[in-house]
Amino acid sequence: MTVTQINLDALQEDAQFTTKPESMLKIYWTRLRRHRLATMSLFFLAVLILIVGIGPLIMQNFTYYNVSKGEYLTYTRDTQDLLSRNAAPSSTHPLGTDELGRDILFRLLVAGQLSLVIAFSVTILSETFGTFLGAVSGYYGGWVDSFIQRLVEFIIILPTLPLLLVLSAFFRDFNIEAIPPEWSQAVVLIAILTGLGWTGSCRLSRGMVLSLRNQEFTEASKALGLSDIKIITKHMMPNAIPPIIVNATLNLGLVILAESSLSFLGFGIQQPVATWGNMLQDVQKDMFTAPWKALIPGVMIFITVLAFNYLGDGLRDALDPRLKL
Amino acid sequence: MANYLLRRTIQMVLVVFIATLAIFFLLNAAPGGPTSGLNQNGDLRTRLGEAEIARLERSLGLNKPLVLSYAIWLFGEDWVDDLGNLLGHPDLNNQLLFSGTWRDYQSPTCDDAGGTNANSDPGKPAPCNRGIIRWDWGESWSLASGQQVTTVIGSRVSNTVILMASVAVVSLLIAVPIGIISAVRQYSTLDYAVTTFSFFGIAMPVFWFGLLVIIFFGLQFREWGLPYFPTGDVFTVRVLPGSIQDVLGIEPKSFMDRIIHLVLPVSVLTLLYLATWSRFMRGSMLEVLRLDYVRTARSKGVREIVVIVKHAARNALIPLVTIVVFQIPQIFGGAIVTETIFNYPGMGRLFFDALQFNDWPIVMALLFITAILVVIATLIGDVLYTIIDPRIRFE
Repeated sequence: MTVTQINLDALQEDAQFTTKPESMLKIYWTRLRRHRLATMSLFFLAVLILIVGIGPLIMQNFTYYNVSKGEYLTYTRDTQDLLSRNAAPSSTHPLGTDELGRDILFRLLVAGQLSLVIAFSVTILSETFGTFLGAVSGYYGGWVDSFIQRLVEFIIILPTLPLLLVLSAFFRDFNIEAIPPEWSQAVVLIAILTGLGWTGSCRLSRGMVLSLRNQEFTEASKALGLSDIKIITKHMMPNAIPPIIVNATLNLGLVILAESSLSFLGFGIQQPVATWGNMLQDVQKDMFTAPWKALIPGVMIFITVLAFNYLGDGLRDALDPRLKL
Repeated sequence: MANYLLRRTIQMVLVVFIATLAIFFLLNAAPGGPTSGLNQNGDLRTRLGEAEIARLERSLGLNKPLVLSYAIWLFGEDWVDDLGNLLGHPDLNNQLLFSGTWRDYQSPTCDDAGGTNANSDPGKPAPCNRGIIRWDWGESWSLASGQQVTTVIGSRVSNTVILMASVAVVSLLIAVPIGIISAVRQYSTLDYAVTTFSFFGIAMPVFWFGLLVIIFFGLQFREWGLPYFPTGDVFTVRVLPGSIQDVLGIEPKSFMDRIIHLVLPVSVLTLLYLATWSRFMRGSMLEVLRLDYVRTARSKGVREIVVIVKHAARNALIPLVTIVVFQIPQIFGGAIVTETIFNYPGMGRLFFDALQFNDWPIVMALLFITAILVVIATLIGDVLYTIIDPRIRFE
């Protein structure tokens, strides 16, 4: 008797190819475009990432006249010009200078890189981790589920801002030798915000998986002999994606705000490293003499977070399966 | 249900216990502390010596191992002496697991309402710590040195409740209509307008927004000669000419004076809460409007306004209730950043100050209260779910 060798991987690929219709993306896109502000936000964010990404690379090739040094210098993040402190926007400093005579435009762009990298890393890490744990929790049920859910409750109980304050005070002098100091500070912040931020997506994906667990395609995958981990990562997690994407988009804005609040309170990323949050530190005393110092980073945070919120709002409407076109 | 409540209560106690344990260890593991920096005073004459710092640490109980400190925080100190005598005083070779012998941690005079430690200042007025379980919250170390934590918190809690309750009421009054309007007129200009308005608060860092508000309504108004708002505290001591109290003829320390002081912080916080609640209301309303019974009501010829307000909105409000319940801890815990910015003497600013001054008894007390309120609010929320949606059952 011959047993026909079934090529599992090929079958799986086939199944995935047919269950992942390309047209769905088109439908989502059409729906998203009905939310005009969300579409505009998407384009704005794309442009922002582009500017923040290549802006400093272009700008560091230009020179300006540094009054206190008495020579022409290239734009950098930390170069001070103590003779033109709090200078108003001009042709040499398009957005003015801060209290140490550093160019605000250059700092703003570099700060944007760090703030956005932190926001995206925290969101991607915490959503992936949360979705996976939620899927495991819902798929296995029983004591695994109980344990993970109690863990989620425990983390929700820990008061967020106070805990962030304590943890970042604890890790303030933490340094990883191999990477530059600003990135090792960012690593600490990313780790803390991720550790506290995965609970929302965990609950969301658990709810989704609970309803998917008993459907036919899961049984089919089991009958085909797929391992639990493959069922969870290849069938459960992709199906939980729409609500997770919405959650992630809104989370991006929240992370930017959390980072800026922490940095403002002095518990986040320390000077001279620039983030949008710590550029706002101590700005109140120069509010009348140098308003650009406070307004520009604040406005950047405001429009970026606003754009993420609009986008999340649009995605929520677009990805809602109950919505008919 | 009774079985479920009992099980949840046991779990709640356990979760609060683990949470306080974690927070206690975290606080004590953090670098610094109340005695850090004492030996760095620039002036040699006022700089504290090693022995003096050690005495201070003993009087605060900082020399004890962490496990013992936590046990004392929870159960009190009067049993430590007896336990130490019971265990005896082993010599160097037979010491306990953690460093030192019990002798260093004992408080022989504790029962006679002496100091908190054998070697501490005998003139210390505070009686022996009886632990948080027996309603002894300890006394402040640095922020209000020597005062009972309960006194310090008691002087702040009413301010915070007044602030946060006003915020909750005002936000609900604005968020519900906004949610309804933007659901009924989805994707209209009106929807975009109210959406933008409700996103306004959460898109800005609250400290920055608060500062702008203070600078505009407090300082800029004064410069322009307009009636300007007070930017901090809860009462005015003396009415300054040109301020809003002067223009409206409000007496210092009157009821209206308090209201005037609430205007700015409440506005800032309302914008913050508005966003979440109105978005939630919009989503819930959109869901309800698609249901069959709403179509039935319309086809029966019920007027649109009645359909929306009476049929749809009332049902859409129900899920919002559970969201609002989760805000109970905040009503007592206050808003850390906003209270700090507006110099408002509430619980949030107390927490911030206590953390700045390493005043751990106050920090621990506030975190303990918050943890308890969070688990209670979660339980109330879960129970409300079962009442609202009979399909959800807890066994």
